[in-house]
Amino acid sequence: MNIVAVAACTSGIAHTYIAKEKLIRAAEERGHRIKVETQGTIGTEDELTMDEIKEADIVIFAIDIAITGTERFEGKKTIKVPTNICVKAPKQLIEKIETELNK
Amino acid sequence: MKKIVEELKQHALTAISYMLPLVVASGLLIAIGNLMGGENVTELAKMTIPNALTSLGVLGMGLLPSFIAGYIAYSIADRPGIAPGFLMGQIASFLGAGFLGGMIGGYLVGYIALLIRKTLKVPKWAEALMPMMIIPTLSAIIAGLIMFFVIGNPIVWATNGLTNFITGLDQSQKGAYGFIIGALGCIDFGGPISKVPNLICDGLLLEGIKGPEGIKVLAAMVPPLGITFSLVLSKLFKKKIYSSQEVENIKIAFPMGLCMISEGVIPIAMNDLIRTVICTATGCGITGAISFSLGNESAVPSGGVFVIPAMSEPMAALLALIVGSAVTGVMLVLIKKRKTGQEEIILEQEEEMDLSDIKIM
Repeated sequence: MNIVAVAACTSGIAHTYIAKEKLIRAAEERGHRIKVETQGTIGTEDELTMDEIKEADIVIFAIDIAITGTERFEGKKTIKVPTNICVKAPKQLIEKIETELNK
Repeated sequence: MKKIVEELKQHALTAISYMLPLVVASGLLIAIGNLMGGENVTELAKMTIPNALTSLGVLGMGLLPSFIAGYIAYSIADRPGIAPGFLMGQIASFLGAGFLGGMIGGYLVGYIALLIRKTLKVPKWAEALMPMMIIPTLSAIIAGLIMFFVIGNPIVWATNGLTNFITGLDQSQKGAYGFIIGALGCIDFGGPISKVPNLICDGLLLEGIKGPEGIKVLAAMVPPLGITFSLVLSKLFKKKIYSSQEVENIKIAFPMGLCMISEGVIPIAMNDLIRTVICTATGCGITGAISFSLGNESAVPSGGVFVIPAMSEPMAALLALIVGSAVTGVMLVLIKKRKTGQEEIILEQEEEMDLSDIKIM
């Protein structure tokens, strides 16, 4: 699968980036390609390109707060979870997405 | 129901994320200005550099109700919500009920703006006027009148009631509340549960009650400092309680902890959640109880050890921090199981989580 994700937490300095690392590790371990954009206090980093979004099979929003640029994902399959799901159970999340998409 | 609560919470958290840098900068300006002997002045003729810093900080704090209301409304109704939201914040300031008024005003005007955006159909030529004129003006009129004439008085009463309650606490009650605020404020290390008591502390700061904020700042440092202390103790007493990977994580968590970022301990806590949380929550609670009952206050809501000199009772703050961290450290060494070689391999285990609510849209 091609996965894109956006991570954003309240303080924008820690959970955002932990969630990013965990998602990448879990997804790659299961053989998927993933790119994660972070919207922290410092601003947007690793911004997703339109091509990356177009090619993605699923968009993961790992967010506790409202994010900017949601219109980029119109028409895509999306899944929204709080950041702590990605921190605590990233593999279960990826597995869940796999089974849901294969239904 | 759960969905609605989640949604309301997300709007509040969005506002806090925009508000935090403002509160930190303003709080530090006040603290630095005060340390240099400055005070809040309103005339340009009296402006000295210390006075300028303090006054700017006070002006910044005055923006807070608008930030809260504005960004809650933004989270609900997107950009058209910002302007009417800021206006509701101004009403909250006018009522002298900054935080609560800002929260309520933000939700109110946000949902009104969203409703207008979703339901009001205008002719094609007027569409451009929707976000620019119609939504902000109309929602500000409706929500503004409700704020002034319907819910203004109840908000003022509630705010006064809360401030009177906190200022009226006696010594032992302060210890008890300090313990609760401290323990809850870092129970999930900066996660969603701890945001609630921390939000209340920030709110009280706006009403001029700075004791809880002092608890929040100090207690947030206790988990990382306590765990670091337990690592030192475990080396001294030759009881190995952390794997080599965890030791690496502690080395990162410690400097983060000094800056009041307790999230660094999450990877360590995850491996032994219940024992760790018992120890850290106890330490945080003790720190809170000491700080609050000794009358320590902080005008700065964030910044870790660097704002301790700016607190009202720096020595009490230091004492609270050290005792709380020491308790956490000693408890961890006592109740954590001794590590054997095998445990290092199963580090990557995940907690079982219920993901059945989560749906692909």
